[in-house]
Amino acid sequence: MNVETFRYDNRIVRAFAIATIVFAIVGMSAGLLAAIQLFYPAANLNLEYTTFGRLRPLHTNAVIFAFVGNGMFMGIYYSLQRLCKARMFSDTLSWINFWGWNAVIVAAAVTLPLGLTTSKEYAELEWPIDIAIAVVWVVFTVNLLGTIAKRREKHMYVAIWFYIATALTVAVLHIVNSLAVPAGAFKSYSIYAGVQDALVQWWYGHNAVAFFLTTPYLGLMYYFLPKAADRPVFSYRLSIIHFWALIFLYIWAGPHHLLYTALPDWAQSLGMVFSLMLIAPSWGGMLNGLLTLRGAWDKVRQDPMLKFMVVAVTAYGMATLEGPTLAIKSVNSLSHYTDWTIAHVHTGALGWNGFLTFSMLYWLFPKMYRTRLYSVKLANYHFWIGLLGIMFYVVPMYFSGVTQGLMWKQFTADGFLQYPNFLETVIRLLPMHRLRAVGGGLFIVGVFIMAWNLYKTAKHGNFLADEEVQAAVAEPKHVPADKKWGHRWLEAKPITFSVLTVLAILVGGLIEIVPFYLIKENVPTLSSVKPYTPLEVLGRDLYIREGCVGCHSQMIRPFRSETERYGEYSKAGEFVYDHPFLWGSKRTGPDLHREGGKYPHAWHYHHMEKPESTSPGSIMPPYPWLLTRKLDTSSLQARIKALRRVGVPYPEGFETTAKQDLEAQAQQIVLGLKTGMIDAPPDREIIALIAYLQRLGTDIKAQALAETPATP
Amino acid sequence: MIKNVLTHIGGIEIYGILSVLLFFTVFTATLFWALRLKKTHLDAMARLPLHDGTTDSLPPISKPSQPDSSHE
Repeated sequence: MNVETFRYDNRIVRAFAIATIVFAIVGMSAGLLAAIQLFYPAANLNLEYTTFGRLRPLHTNAVIFAFVGNGMFMGIYYSLQRLCKARMFSDTLSWINFWGWNAVIVAAAVTLPLGLTTSKEYAELEWPIDIAIAVVWVVFTVNLLGTIAKRREKHMYVAIWFYIATALTVAVLHIVNSLAVPAGAFKSYSIYAGVQDALVQWWYGHNAVAFFLTTPYLGLMYYFLPKAADRPVFSYRLSIIHFWALIFLYIWAGPHHLLYTALPDWAQSLGMVFSLMLIAPSWGGMLNGLLTLRGAWDKVRQDPMLKFMVVAVTAYGMATLEGPTLAIKSVNSLSHYTDWTIAHVHTGALGWNGFLTFSMLYWLFPKMYRTRLYSVKLANYHFWIGLLGIMFYVVPMYFSGVTQGLMWKQFTADGFLQYPNFLETVIRLLPMHRLRAVGGGLFIVGVFIMAWNLYKTAKHGNFLADEEVQAAVAEPKHVPADKKWGHRWLEAKPITFSVLTVLAILVGGLIEIVPFYLIKENVPTLSSVKPYTPLEVLGRDLYIREGCVGCHSQMIRPFRSETERYGEYSKAGEFVYDHPFLWGSKRTGPDLHREGGKYPHAWHYHHMEKPESTSPGSIMPPYPWLLTRKLDTSSLQARIKALRRVGVPYPEGFETTAKQDLEAQAQQIVLGLKTGMIDAPPDREIIALIAYLQRLGTDIKAQALAETPATP
Repeated sequence: MIKNVLTHIGGIEIYGILSVLLFFTVFTATLFWALRLKKTHLDAMARLPLHDGTTDSLPPISKPSQPDSSHE
């Protein structure tokens, strides 16, 4: 047997570990600040950059891509080398991966507070950063597959399958969902519109959860849990079924984010059924993890690393039972748009991703620094404070979600809405929002304790940058023909394995998305639905910049409780010019799809200047800068051209007259404001925003009145 | 409106049935795949993370015989 000596690279693992800890603190602090603003709006520090609408995407991106992203790379770079018995394919690629990824995060941290956003959830970053992400991801994938190719272990362990699925699927999702036509250095319009954009976005959004937050972490669970318990995984057979069933099913479940919306019914039902089926592989995986600890539960009592791991796997089990439950249409009709969703995602984020990451960190630091953990007691404090934090976060959010859902739907005996004023349903939730902030605060305190503990551990140890090991070279063996295409054979064939993985994830996506290209030809475009005017386009872009979609939906579901409150339910044909769609996923404030014409211009002016002046008790932040800042019309031509390229039927040459059109409409708004005793200059941002808000949902009213619709 | 869309996609009613059938085919195939594997291979694979070539020169933190009272 030919034995070789080589070294595992721990330096790259340490770099990702440090980034994980730093971005845990940054991302969670942004979340805490956003949470505080939901009962104390002045916590936006009177700055546009830290206002909820811009802070929320910063929080979600920081936690998902910076904290979990770095944590994922940390775990993969550590375990992959050991499972392959090989150093990473290329140290250069490893460091490009590290610095590239973290440069993207810094770019996000700069652009999102500036309001440079596509508004598509978890895909908010604008096109130049999207390209950078794609490049870095390719580097990671090459490094991953390269390492697998030079492995000394003949067969690929289950963790590696999950890493392969992660690398390939995230690439597909990111590229398809980010397709857009640029209209400036940091502005673009999605090539999809309305219903199609919604479907592609939630196909992406759901599978970002699946293939960024779940599959890599499942791979890490399959490596770190057996390592910590010092016993093999409960059932390797079950892990095979877990893997294939999970990746095949996950990709279909996206439409459950769009139940009761204008998405065609067949796609909604498909999303719901496949979501329910997902319970089986998810629970298979969870049980496989927990049962690995059979006979080792005494270790869980003593080892904080295992405590974190057990809670993480249990949280995975709870979240994956709750997810399919929420995907049942009748449950979703109550839960959607409420804090219930927030509770659900935080069970996953704080419990599954958070605790599993902490578990890995507590395991890796002593290993890499050749010492013992500085303080087991502090790690135990972290565990209990973190667990308490999760409870204080999640439980109030359940109360809040169910309360608000029920209040929205409550009718009086006479058949009127019992809480016709949306604000009543918001004010009722404020005590719950305060408790949630306490939970989030506790969780962050735990992270600080961990950071200190790990710092002290590192101080007391000696870092082993290159870990020398010996392993036998894998020798190719002849596989008899009848053994070909067995799973054992497949485990030694990374390329075939990757191809099958891509096939498994593409099927669902294609069956769901392709028919929507047929629909494009067939949606009976409502004749009264017209493209936005130039002023409205810029107003809509301001709506996107300020992140209004984070709190206001534009999708009225076909329930009496919604049509009574907001007006006619939303139709697919109304969104054909919406690049991107702005349906939203959360109603911290009311739905705005029928906002047009509901209030006079002056109401909006006062409301944006000081929301409490028109809506006492409102938790919406004020937007005084919209009243004073000049509307930037310099990019108008580029924007009209880009919109035409994505399919909005502006006539050729329209961009040259767009400016006059804009000015004429602005004068109309100014006149309207005058009747409300407001003297506003026509060139301010507020004018464009009012134009857009007053347009919302009015096209079908025009159809009803058989009026001639306005031309762009 | 939705009805209108549905009538315009040819054979959309079989999409749901086709999808579920497809899944059961994949699931059955995977089950068959997993059941065909020999126990020796399964055991060897399951133990793979435990033999990664590194030796733990230090006791894991979980060992009760190694209290770190000096730091507490």
